[in-house]
Amino acid sequence: MVKIVTDTLSDLPASLIKEFGISVVPLNLHFGTEVYRDTVDITTDVFYQKLMSKQVFPTTSAPGPGIFVELYNQLAKETDAIVAIMTSRKISAVGESAMQAKNMVKLDARIEVIDTQQVAGALMLVVITAAEAAKAGATFEQVVSLVKDTIPRTHVRMAFDTLEYLRRGGRIGKAQALLGSLLKVHPVLGLKDGEAFPHHRARNRAGAVDFLVNFARGFAKIEKMVVEDATTPQEADDLVERLAAFYPKERIYRAKVSPVFGAHVGPHVLDVAIIEGKKEAGDIPVPAAQKAKGLSPSPAIL
Amino acid sequence: MKATIETGQELRDMFGAAARWLEKSASEVDAINVFPVPDGDTGTNMLFTMRSTMEEAFRAPDHSTAQVMKAMAHGALMGARGNSGVILSQVFRGLARKLGDKDGIGPKEWAEALGEASRTAYQGLSRPVEGTILTVMRDAAEAAIAAAEKEGVTLTEVMEVAVEAAKRSVARTPLLLPVLKEAGVVDAGGQGLYIILDGVLHYMRGEAEELQYRRPQLVAAAEPMPPKVAPLAAVKEEPYGYCTEFIITGEKLDADRIRKRLDRKGQSLVVVGNESAVRVHIHTLDPGAILHWAVSLGTLHQLKIQNMDDQHVDFIEMQKERLPTLDIGIVAVAAGQGITELLQSLGVSAIVPGGQTMNPSVRDILQAVETVPSDKVIILPNNKNIILTASQVQNLTSKKVAVVPTKTIPQGVAALLAFNYEGNLEENTRAMEAAVKSVQTIEVTKAVRSTRFDGLRIKRGQYIAIVDDEALIANDDEIEPLLLRALEKTVCKNVEVITLYYGADTRASQAEEMVQQIRLKYPQAQVELVRGGQPHYNYIISLEG
Repeated sequence: MVKIVTDTLSDLPASLIKEFGISVVPLNLHFGTEVYRDTVDITTDVFYQKLMSKQVFPTTSAPGPGIFVELYNQLAKETDAIVAIMTSRKISAVGESAMQAKNMVKLDARIEVIDTQQVAGALMLVVITAAEAAKAGATFEQVVSLVKDTIPRTHVRMAFDTLEYLRRGGRIGKAQALLGSLLKVHPVLGLKDGEAFPHHRARNRAGAVDFLVNFARGFAKIEKMVVEDATTPQEADDLVERLAAFYPKERIYRAKVSPVFGAHVGPHVLDVAIIEGKKEAGDIPVPAAQKAKGLSPSPAIL
Repeated sequence: MKATIETGQELRDMFGAAARWLEKSASEVDAINVFPVPDGDTGTNMLFTMRSTMEEAFRAPDHSTAQVMKAMAHGALMGARGNSGVILSQVFRGLARKLGDKDGIGPKEWAEALGEASRTAYQGLSRPVEGTILTVMRDAAEAAIAAAEKEGVTLTEVMEVAVEAAKRSVARTPLLLPVLKEAGVVDAGGQGLYIILDGVLHYMRGEAEELQYRRPQLVAAAEPMPPKVAPLAAVKEEPYGYCTEFIITGEKLDADRIRKRLDRKGQSLVVVGNESAVRVHIHTLDPGAILHWAVSLGTLHQLKIQNMDDQHVDFIEMQKERLPTLDIGIVAVAAGQGITELLQSLGVSAIVPGGQTMNPSVRDILQAVETVPSDKVIILPNNKNIILTASQVQNLTSKKVAVVPTKTIPQGVAALLAFNYEGNLEENTRAMEAAVKSVQTIEVTKAVRSTRFDGLRIKRGQYIAIVDDEALIANDDEIEPLLLRALEKTVCKNVEVITLYYGADTRASQAEEMVQQIRLKYPQAQVELVRGGQPHYNYIISLEG
């Protein structure tokens, strides 16, 4: 079976990691001299408590290739095919480490490292898509081409209360156009070519959430959908209820941003990610085996 | 973790790591270079200076820290390029002054050496400017010296404090140097120095290996600043002249005298060196005269003369490529400093001063359209009487121009908020026109004459409230009751945001009181107060819902 590797910026809930046997490599979170492995040594809730109580602003770093070398060596004992589905390189160097490690190991297993140009919920949906296919018996080539086919159909919009965290972390990209507004605005950002771009400015939180709903409603066909929050689960649940008007509620994944991602987006981020369905049903590259079994993705409960 | 630096090899490894760290971000440092001349080469110049420093480090006569440090200072002086590079060479000279006779470097020696580096850097300049690499060096040195006082402190700990201070110092540079604030950047030389110090710190922490997988985090400004792009492209200023650099070698050279002699010959003068070699950097309109004099002192080496106006043109081209999406530029008509700043903060690239009773001409608007660095432009007239003028511009320019017929400032703001950075001109025009309908405007002003209007009898000097620049809905001798009555007639349940822009003639305290009253009356709405500074209207009120 093809083994799937990703990083913690995919925000995958523990239940899905376990169900699909996905290897998730943690990034590092630094509070001054304290270092935590993302989601391993620190949870999102604890992280935000620390963020509120500490004066020092957290920074983050990508792990070096060493951890991937070990991981590849270990996975190669049970498989001959590894697909690493990584966060956009414009956002983190973790994918670079995964790639360098590939060139450092000599294994019989084939390894493909893919820069998804996505992050958070959007990355999560791509990873789930690949993991489902792998579980259903897809080959190395099939998984790789499925991922590459899915990436351009994956879209995300994130509602912010402030872009201050993105600015401080230096990951603001083109969204810097929205900085410094003298009116109170709630920016909504998307991802394009692997980095943040400004899409909308709402005048209040409700307007930003409305925008997310309309964004999701704009897709004729939806293959997968996830709603993520940082510290506002009730708001995210309410958003799910509204999205349920046009997409089956039980198929909407719920997730929480990881601490490292949280350090860059702040405590009030709310996002919706979607994999857009293909135009003709016959083209949907879901392996026949899975269709036959009638497997549907199980929603994650956090 | 380093407790001390014992050998010259460690010193080489340490600054080698710093040089490689700088290399990763040199181009980004180039891109924020606006002072003293926006020519976009600060990062590259500092990197070349570091490379020359490191090459010389391997030519030291022995492997003691003292000899390697001296060799590095010599390499920095000989290879320095550009303003920041020359100042960086002074930093190495200062380090060598303190460390050039010591074997082994502990926390105290290191802190003192940083202090000497800071002093030496200032000495090289006839007119040191704060908010630059100098300030960053001084802040780092002062923090290091204070940290080194502590009993039992390690070298690494001292450097941690210094780097943190450097980082904060870089973030503050726009507060000290207005040209940085205008450009929306931090000082490039300061940024470069911070990266070098940070690279040194990583080495001390034993993280030199990891640096190859990471990139330096650039310091952002302490206060968020909107990138103001239009002036950069539009303003044609005095010529910058020629950046002139050379080394004089000879005997008994006196850097101080050379500096005094050249002080009035140009800008950004840096003169550094010793009795046998002096490096000169100056921005001058007449490099010939300077070289003519300099050759009388000794022989000249490494001459470099560059036309900075050419460099500046290249820099602007580079900036254009890096601009936040400016596929579509926006020109707005507005009056009042607060409103002007507000519109700029929402993405307007050029403001044409004007409004009620001071309508701009077609030429005024055309000029603004032409300065915007974009082929597609949207105009927001923000006044009924300017819409027609604005639409004339369409026929007078080769650019593609659309007019969104906004009649008031709140309509203009609503249109701006609806701007979609990914949309094309047609989509945006449509979205902005639709957004205009979602906002109601109340304008409060004084009646200039007695009249009857919409069934109301108005006395001269009374306050009147007008909705959407059309209907007069209330008049009163007092402004507060008038405003509240106007709101009663217009605010309905679905109004979510009420924004008050108070004018040039309205006191802030009065406006704040007004806002409190409105908040009490409309607790469901988000009420905001903005200093508009507009003439003519005491208040402009926007109702969004």
